[in-house]
Amino acid sequence: MSLPDSLNHHREGLTTSHHDWTMLQAKKLVEGQKPVQIDANTSIENACEILHMSGISCAPVYDASRKQYVGMFDYGDLMTYVLLALKKMDVPLEDQSMEMRDLIHKSRQHQQVPVKLASDLSGKDPFCAVLAETRLGAIVNDFGSGIHRVAVMNSNGELAGVLSQSSVLDFLMRHLSEFSHLQPVMQKTLPELGLVNSNVLSVNGDAQVLEALMAMSSNNVTSVAVLDDQGVLIGNISMADIQYIMKDLKASWLWLSCFQFVSKVRQSRGVETGEDQYPILDVNATATFGYALAKLQATKVHRLWVVNDNGLVAGVVSLTDVFKILSAHTDS
Amino acid sequence: MVLDLDRCIESLFKRQLLAESVIKEICERTKELLMNESNVVHINAPVTVVGDIHGQFYDLLEIFKIGGYCPDTNYLFLGDYVDRGLYSVETMSILTCLKLRYPDRVQLVRGNHESRAVTQTYGFYTECMKKYGSPQVWHYFTDLFDYLTLSVVIDNMIFCVHGGLSPSIHTIDQIKVMDRFKEIPHEGPMADLVWSDPDPGREEFAVSPRGAGYTFGSLVVEKFLHENGMDHILRAHQLCMEGFQVLFDDQLSTVWSAPNYCYRCGNLASILEVGVDGERHFNVFEAAPENERPSAAEVQRAAMFANGIPTGLFSGVGSNGAMTSSPAAGNGNGNGASSFLTTAGMDPTQDAIHYFL
Repeated sequence: MSLPDSLNHHREGLTTSHHDWTMLQAKKLVEGQKPVQIDANTSIENACEILHMSGISCAPVYDASRKQYVGMFDYGDLMTYVLLALKKMDVPLEDQSMEMRDLIHKSRQHQQVPVKLASDLSGKDPFCAVLAETRLGAIVNDFGSGIHRVAVMNSNGELAGVLSQSSVLDFLMRHLSEFSHLQPVMQKTLPELGLVNSNVLSVNGDAQVLEALMAMSSNNVTSVAVLDDQGVLIGNISMADIQYIMKDLKASWLWLSCFQFVSKVRQSRGVETGEDQYPILDVNATATFGYALAKLQATKVHRLWVVNDNGLVAGVVSLTDVFKILSAHTDS
Repeated sequence: MVLDLDRCIESLFKRQLLAESVIKEICERTKELLMNESNVVHINAPVTVVGDIHGQFYDLLEIFKIGGYCPDTNYLFLGDYVDRGLYSVETMSILTCLKLRYPDRVQLVRGNHESRAVTQTYGFYTECMKKYGSPQVWHYFTDLFDYLTLSVVIDNMIFCVHGGLSPSIHTIDQIKVMDRFKEIPHEGPMADLVWSDPDPGREEFAVSPRGAGYTFGSLVVEKFLHENGMDHILRAHQLCMEGFQVLFDDQLSTVWSAPNYCYRCGNLASILEVGVDGERHFNVFEAAPENERPSAAEVQRAAMFANGIPTGLFSGVGSNGAMTSSPAAGNGNGNGASSFLTTAGMDPTQDAIHYFL
């Protein structure tokens, strides 16, 4: 039997005397974390398995021979690797790093590629380290500018933990009753906060998955809305779904239609948890910010599509949007 | 059209599909029947309650063997008849026929899978297309789903629903006045009844990780039972390894009736027998015995259904670095083990898509 929520707060050792969440230090939030890291020589396939089994979308890559972290490996890097290997992405020779050249060479030779060549491959969301004393306010600011996670380092260079947008959101929501400054913004509606803007990358359900991945990559977004012929939202493909392609070598899924792919991903996930999820993770355009955050926290996704009453997509609320708003509200 | 329901039921027990025109007729007639049912149907014990079946037809036959055949046994089915299993069409067909044949002995409650959006994602639509060559049968059944009741009360004491409770619903009367004859909405009380889950770690409602409905805790359960003068909530919707689960000091039970879910979870299943004195007994059972299971080919297709490609589809494909089907290919530092991606630009999925559809 679990304790009521109020007792849980005390057990977490949070000093409740100070309600300004922006002043909390990063080390407090990563206390007790056993961060997952991947050895630099692990194959990409095994690195994906590690991410999948740990239920995370990113991990630091550690090179024991150089005794240092060489980058982060996430699904964005995996996607870039897949597109490069399939020659669906062209990076001019002069823009290729040594690691990228080596990776391309190895994959052309059909050799195993060690994850150290793929870390930070996408060029987006590179390894970003912060000291353990860094204040949460600064981290939230970073999150609002598009950084998805930071590696929290102790002064001796050891990894204390990883703070992701998801984990910080979860923390703020669990302690919401203590952070009175946050409560007014929770009551605002999505349109009031400018989150209904229909600038959303979408793809038709019949398009190939590979096309969707290419579109995500070239448009620099982490997910794409899947629509039917009437423009109604029927599903979503995000970079994290690429883990299902790597698992058990289902590479051929790249050539399925987006709708078939969405279906397969959902079916796989539901068996693992014994609970099926609603096919579409969305929020109504009239909902409050607080409700959207509660749903983001509960479903653990990185964005919710905003839909109107007809099921047509009217916008998106991503974790980056959330932190941009929270950051703006703390400044005022 | 002259309909011989007994003949239909007999054929279905032998897993023979009914003609499209027959499906149309039975759906039309069942809708007329269901139209007169309240959103809260009151019945009396004895009754045997069945949880999620998910197209596992052979396990449904097992349920009749263990629990007794209609009309000798009264049945209450709590939804999720379709999706995931290989025989959603046969399962739904036989249950519809049984309801039509013995309307007072069979109750069918709507589950979250009895919905157009969900059945397009989780397999029922695809199965209809495969078995009938057109989406008509899927349309007939999904239109029928709009008529299924939302809840049942046994002996005024046990509230039965597919998912769980809703923050918008405090009394049974509120359920009675809802308009249920439509596709399940994304949000609102109707969605909550079919999507919600109990959370023994909580006291109140919280947003559900499923993306629809809520999780609800002990205080919510106590309040609902007290306000409505009942002593138990019975629902399905969540996989139980032991076939059932009892929570909140025996105020709520989950019954799950699909053993070895998706033909690979290895779980037990159960049916709940409610006696005239209110006794509740979970009759636990395993997946149907070997000789009545789907053939090896069908199980392989089921695995493919879940995984995409049968293993071995690509073994023997050309030597220039084509995809390997062996999971060992991803292993660490094997010499010369090929990368799983082919750069030859060929599309080996054509065969796979042919199988899948």
